Amino acid sequence: MSAPLVVFDKVEKKFDDFTAVKELDFEIREGEFIAIMGPSGCGKTTTLRMLAGLEAPTSGEIRLNGQVMNDVLPHERDTPLVWQSLALFPFLTAQRNVEFGLKMRGVGKAERAERARKWLDKMGILQFADRDISTLSGGQKQRVALARSLVMEPQVLLLDEPLSALDAHLVIRMQAVLTDLQRELGITFVYVTHSQSEAFAMADRVVIMTEGEIAQIGAPKDIYRAPANQFVAEFVGRNNILSGAVEAISDDTAKITTPSGDFAVPMNEVKLAEGQRASFVISADLVHLALDKPASENAAQCKLISEEFIGSMVTLFLEDAKGHEFKVQMQERELSTFDLKSGDDVWLSWDTQSAHVLSEE
Amino acid sequence: MNSSRALNYVLAAYVVLIFAFVFAPIIFSLIFSFNSQRFPTIPLGEFSTEWYEKILADPDVWEAALNSLIVSSSTAVIATFLGFCTAYSDFRYNFRLKGPYLGLILLPPTIPLIIMALAMLAWFSKIGMSGQIYSIIIAHSVLTAPFAMAVIRLRLNQMDPDLEAAAWNLGGSEWKTMRHVIIPFCKPAIASGLFLTAAVSFDEFAVSWFVSGLNKTLPVIIMEIVQGNIDPQVNAIGTFVFLISMTLVVLAQVFFASRQLKSIRP
Amino acid sequence: MPQKPARKFSLYAMTWRLPIIVWQLVFFVGPVLFMIAMSFFLVKNYRMTEAFEFVNWSKMMSRGYFWDSYWYTCLIAAVSTVCAMLLAFPAAFALAFRASDSTRRWAIFLLIIPFFTSYLVRTFSWFVILSESGVVNAMLGYIGLGPFTMLNTNFGTLVGYMTLTLPLVVILQTITMANIDKTLVETARNLGCKPLATIWQVILPLSKTGFIVAAIFCFILSFGDFVAPFYLGGSQEPTLPILILDTTKSGQQWPRAAVVAIIMMGTLFTIAFAGIALAYRKRKGAK
Repeated sequence: MSAPLVVFDKVEKKFDDFTAVKELDFEIREGEFIAIMGPSGCGKTTTLRMLAGLEAPTSGEIRLNGQVMNDVLPHERDTPLVWQSLALFPFLTAQRNVEFGLKMRGVGKAERAERARKWLDKMGILQFADRDISTLSGGQKQRVALARSLVMEPQVLLLDEPLSALDAHLVIRMQAVLTDLQRELGITFVYVTHSQSEAFAMADRVVIMTEGEIAQIGAPKDIYRAPANQFVAEFVGRNNILSGAVEAISDDTAKITTPSGDFAVPMNEVKLAEGQRASFVISADLVHLALDKPASENAAQCKLISEEFIGSMVTLFLEDAKGHEFKVQMQERELSTFDLKSGDDVWLSWDTQSAHVLSEE
Repeated sequence: MNSSRALNYVLAAYVVLIFAFVFAPIIFSLIFSFNSQRFPTIPLGEFSTEWYEKILADPDVWEAALNSLIVSSSTAVIATFLGFCTAYSDFRYNFRLKGPYLGLILLPPTIPLIIMALAMLAWFSKIGMSGQIYSIIIAHSVLTAPFAMAVIRLRLNQMDPDLEAAAWNLGGSEWKTMRHVIIPFCKPAIASGLFLTAAVSFDEFAVSWFVSGLNKTLPVIIMEIVQGNIDPQVNAIGTFVFLISMTLVVLAQVFFASRQLKSIRP
Repeated sequence: MPQKPARKFSLYAMTWRLPIIVWQLVFFVGPVLFMIAMSFFLVKNYRMTEAFEFVNWSKMMSRGYFWDSYWYTCLIAAVSTVCAMLLAFPAAFALAFRASDSTRRWAIFLLIIPFFTSYLVRTFSWFVILSESGVVNAMLGYIGLGPFTMLNTNFGTLVGYMTLTLPLVVILQTITMANIDKTLVETARNLGCKPLATIWQVILPLSKTGFIVAAIFCFILSFGDFVAPFYLGGSQEPTLPILILDTTKSGQQWPRAAVVAIIMMGTLFTIAFAGIALAYRKRKGAK
């Protein structure tokens, strides 16, 4: 594992009375694609802007390559940012936009043009080099904005919701462009987004923030399977969350009594004590559906409320007798063997090992 | 960060300097009007109301003040009426030659006053309307109508375009809708336009000077006094003129602001 | 915007549309056209007679003093425009980028005030302040400088022009720059642009249209003003407006004044159109 490229060390940012970012502590490794995700107002953009030097931390240190960056002015940093609004200069052509940063760094005219054209070519928009920005389509503008930042050949590229203005079908294509670029160039990407699908599809690691604090850091798979707390479990969605009191403890499992019934959970990650309150989640795609009561020790009887189709996947929304909501995700093909309609009673079950106990209440 | 803070102080000081330059003549005029010296300088002379007493005792000044009052109030009414008609036509209708139509009302303020003064003087002489109070009123209405048009047009911009249609839909005729919907909606802007045009007319001197004949307004009196000699009476008259203009402008702003507040509430 | 299909004739529509047409045709277009016609009239024994002769035009155009005055007026109006634009810029920059929204609103409100106060009174005030024994020379005297002659000089004229134009130019520049998308300035910084260099690289290109409009207004106001060059400049070198004033008031030579006025209008329209064309010029490659 390579040395950390960026270190946030107890970084805090206050705007007047409002604390946007609290005691931020995390590292970004070289060559990593890291996504910072959270609801609006969680401090993710502020974090990115601090890294670019556009906001000064109120306290704490930000280090890049071991060097403290707090007092380094924005134009002295090598941290180009791809903006949510793209922020292309309307009075310059596509090529001049790409040349801008090189010009500021004092690169000669000929070299500037050559490097800019090389990047426009790489992004597949060389034919638009002399066009006015206003005459380009959304996807083309997006590529100009990327080229303008990448032409600087930075160690780290910052992206602030760069795909949020694009149509859905373009988003998928640009995601592929971004991940390919990142792998090919080996540049560290710091990608801020509120979209879970973007973050989970592209990032090596995801930082989930809420109210200025980090809720969890980890690989998408880990966050998905093992959310650290209720916020992450709910934010990530597709999770069934149950809470109750620990009733009995055996070797490596615990029995938890919830309003929806008694369930067994594994104790390999979190130690539980009898009588303690605990919450656990079961990912919606790990829940089995049956018409008759299954043999499993973790089973709940539910009524089907509604279905939602996305592609070939379907999500069922169900409710037990106590009104607790469950979600089940499966292939549409699989569902069709059941022949269900709203209001039908079904049984849900899952393996004990599928449950994940939340470490924080 | 420190150099940027230092730059902020320098810039703030510069802004103060610019404001000082802009307001110096107004403030000094006020100070001089209460100063006993005939040729005011530093150190200042004694406090004195001599110049005010002089102008208050001068029947010419009183007559000019009355003329100014008549001119600016009549101008305000005519210009605001014209401005309203044009703003509404622009808001409601699209028609051929709309560009030249709007040019008719918007062009006069872009032509230097001295040229307008010459053209008005010559034309009024030609058609036998020169040298009267109404000559000034007519000329000022031409010059100030665009100001009224601008504030009323801005107000109409905030009106839901469907509001008028809704009133027709409820059975109101066009005339009734005008009376019960459009005019009430534009009332603050109309008031604002009245004060604004009155203020502009009250201070105008070039055109008044050319076309007024013997019916002098206050700015024309000032013009004649300052020609070639220093007479602090000008400061005293100026203070009155300033106070009246300021009152009108502040009233215009108050109505303008109340309009904005109202637009926030549904 | 409601765009109702226009009926053939509507009394209602005409009630609102016609007043300004009639009024401005009679009292605005009429005077201007008559002034143009008047430039071809003849003056005999101090009386104007209607005619169609080019004598006023040929007389004015062949006089050296007219052309001296013309170029002087153009020059000093241009100098005034450059001065106002440069003097206003740091203040407008500060108000647009460094001040809070409420401070900016207040500043603009304050700057509107002089526009509605008597320009004559303000000019007279400068006349007193700048005189040999006035406030400025008295203050300079305390630190052992002066007295300087400021009245009846180009400096005096420029002070008057600035009084007239500076508030408007500061307002227009401030509004223009306050409307700039701030992320573009941040983008430039992010791409290595030094703080002050953003002015050249980003802020001015984005403000082009607004600044040209401000400069046009400033030029028109200075070019057409007779008060500052008359009272503060002492009409040493008469500007065109003073020429109109003298020709009209003393000489009864209205037709010749009309010639000057028409040339002034022609000059202003040319400059305004050139400026607007420059402001909205499309770059090559734009489609």
